[in-house]
Amino acid sequence: MKPALDLDENPCRPRHFKPAPCGALPMEGPQKELLETGRTRLVLTGVLFALAFLLIGFRLVDLTVLKGGDTRLTHAHLRPHTEATRADIVDRNGVLLARTLESEALVAYPKLVDDAAAAARKLVAVLPDLNQQDVQAKLSSGRKYVRLKRQLTPEQQFAVNNLGIPGIKFETAGFRVYPKGALTSAVVGYIDGADNKGLAGIERGLDDELKTADDPVELSLDTRLQYILTEEMQAQIAAFNAQGGAGIIADANTGEIVALASLPSFDPNDMSGVNEQALFNRATLGTYEMGSVFKIFTTAMALDEHVTTLAGSYDATNPIHIGRFTIHDDHAKHRWLSVPEIFIYSSNIGSAKMAVDAGADRQRDFLGRLGLLAEPKVEIQEIGRPEWPSAWHLVNTMTIAFGHGISVSPLQMVTAVSAVVNGGVLHRATFLKHAEDYRPTGVRVLSRETSEDMRRLLRLVVERGTGKFGAAPGYLVGGKTGTAEKVDGRGYARKELLSSFIGVFPINEPRYVIMVSIDQPHPNGKSMGEATGGWVAAPAVSRIVQRMAPIVGIPPVDEDSPEIRRALLVDFAPSLGRKIAAD
Amino acid sequence: MSMLRLATWGWLAAVGVAGFGTFEMKYQVARVDDELGRVNRQIDADRDQLRVLSAEWSYLTQPARLDQLRQRHLALVPVSRAQLGSLDQIPFRSSEIAGSPLASAPPSPAPSLPSHAPVRLPGGADLASIKPGAAR
Repeated sequence: MKPALDLDENPCRPRHFKPAPCGALPMEGPQKELLETGRTRLVLTGVLFALAFLLIGFRLVDLTVLKGGDTRLTHAHLRPHTEATRADIVDRNGVLLARTLESEALVAYPKLVDDAAAAARKLVAVLPDLNQQDVQAKLSSGRKYVRLKRQLTPEQQFAVNNLGIPGIKFETAGFRVYPKGALTSAVVGYIDGADNKGLAGIERGLDDELKTADDPVELSLDTRLQYILTEEMQAQIAAFNAQGGAGIIADANTGEIVALASLPSFDPNDMSGVNEQALFNRATLGTYEMGSVFKIFTTAMALDEHVTTLAGSYDATNPIHIGRFTIHDDHAKHRWLSVPEIFIYSSNIGSAKMAVDAGADRQRDFLGRLGLLAEPKVEIQEIGRPEWPSAWHLVNTMTIAFGHGISVSPLQMVTAVSAVVNGGVLHRATFLKHAEDYRPTGVRVLSRETSEDMRRLLRLVVERGTGKFGAAPGYLVGGKTGTAEKVDGRGYARKELLSSFIGVFPINEPRYVIMVSIDQPHPNGKSMGEATGGWVAAPAVSRIVQRMAPIVGIPPVDEDSPEIRRALLVDFAPSLGRKIAAD
Repeated sequence: MSMLRLATWGWLAAVGVAGFGTFEMKYQVARVDDELGRVNRQIDADRDQLRVLSAEWSYLTQPARLDQLRQRHLALVPVSRAQLGSLDQIPFRSSEIAGSPLASAPPSPAPSLPSHAPVRLPGGADLASIKPGAAR
């Protein structure tokens, strides 16, 4: 090698650079070729190694510097979805309404059990609530698999495990708990525990979502208001010895249902011995002839379509005879009544004439716009189909004006009344909580002016009309009473009533619509022989308002302050035979 | 030649240190990983416990039950209209009082608000010992 080095003694060459010996090489022929091959292989290997180290270097930089700051745990804390997985259901404040808990169930494979009697004795010794004969029978049944006990505590599991009986095994099983029990069952519903299938309410309506969701499903319900509604309704049902009732509190501006009760109710934790009555959701599935509360829509329609005005009046002197029907007034005044009077004294005759003035087409169109003629689309499936005449004759127009001959559900009523009072915008009812910043758009169904007039009229009903018991001192409640005779086989049963009150609160700037319907109340000693909506349902709404106002943050006001008087003023001199509207 | 040997020793030492360091690191990681697994299992167990306990809490705070407990043990009643007001309903202290209003103003009598004495639980029972649903 020496001669090659000597050939190039350039002092400026890099220290480690060894120029290829270009001079005379000592090797020729095959030797040279071998050398060339070796050199090429060496270079190739070197390049490969360099690449490998570069790659490792890059990866190191990548892991330590670029991804180093990412300290998220790779361990997934979410438990894997199984057959029994089901998301929680919570109310609008995060209060737990339904949850699936996991527990160990005690199961046995009888064929593997040697001595059934001894095994049964040992098991009962640590699990005293089991029946020894029962267990022994199961263990010697010769079946492939039997379930001995659900929901073992960890201590029990440990004790059973210590017994070391062959053929006795544990099985993880989910079970659904409903901490609020019967209070929220009308909306939450229940499931079939064996195959994790929702059978009613949200559990049924959102079955698929609940099975796949990781986060809890947030309902629009408020458990506190739900309790107030339920309790006040129960008080009225007891006081008037009634069959049951339906009640709803809805947010008038968003369509959210914040409380919904159907009584009698059922406890979803214990479905044994639950009857059809309790499972039937009267607030959403039941459709009823609502009676005079329907005059809200008749009056709103007449005002909105400019059929009449608040200054208009109708002759309510004599009952109307049409076909085999006679329409008369329960609180008959036997004179001309102004439009506000028709509303506050709940005159059937006046309302019927008002509807006839508007005509069947406009009436049907208006009720349709308010969603009263079609099934509402909500998250639960227990929804009743409204019933109304296919042929809308004159007599139908008249009876529908005061809420007979058409059946709708309380849910539809509340949604429609919300639209009438909130400025005229219809919002779809929902059982799910809206996001904080969500502003529902809705559909305009009547004018702002009509809505304002209706609020005044509803207030008047509570101040001077049939809904006086709906008043709540310090709070501005408006509302309308309704007492419908229930259809009994062929005709109307005079004694079987559905007594309702729809309250709006606060009436000057509505936030909540509260409906209470009591089914088949009987007059009691204090009610002077009455079991009407004004006597039965209105007091419940009054108490509900007084109890819920502090919770929802609505301060009391001075009802007699001049500003409020002016805002809700209706100029309604009793009509003295003025003949404005066509007869 | 000695230079070369020194460098070789140096590299050998470096390799040794790096190897030792790597193994040490590996075992540390294994230990930490075990710890992580243990903590994760603990977290899972705690989380399960929490799920059960919060369900229990929701059950024990059923409004009807709270209402019963209130009736039995507390003199609290729902807030009434008279107890609610706004700030502008509270009059400002009159500034006509001479001198520094703070120094010379006569001590105003405490507003008479409805008040309740603390309620002693009957028989020294504490709330925790009340069985859920006992009165249902």
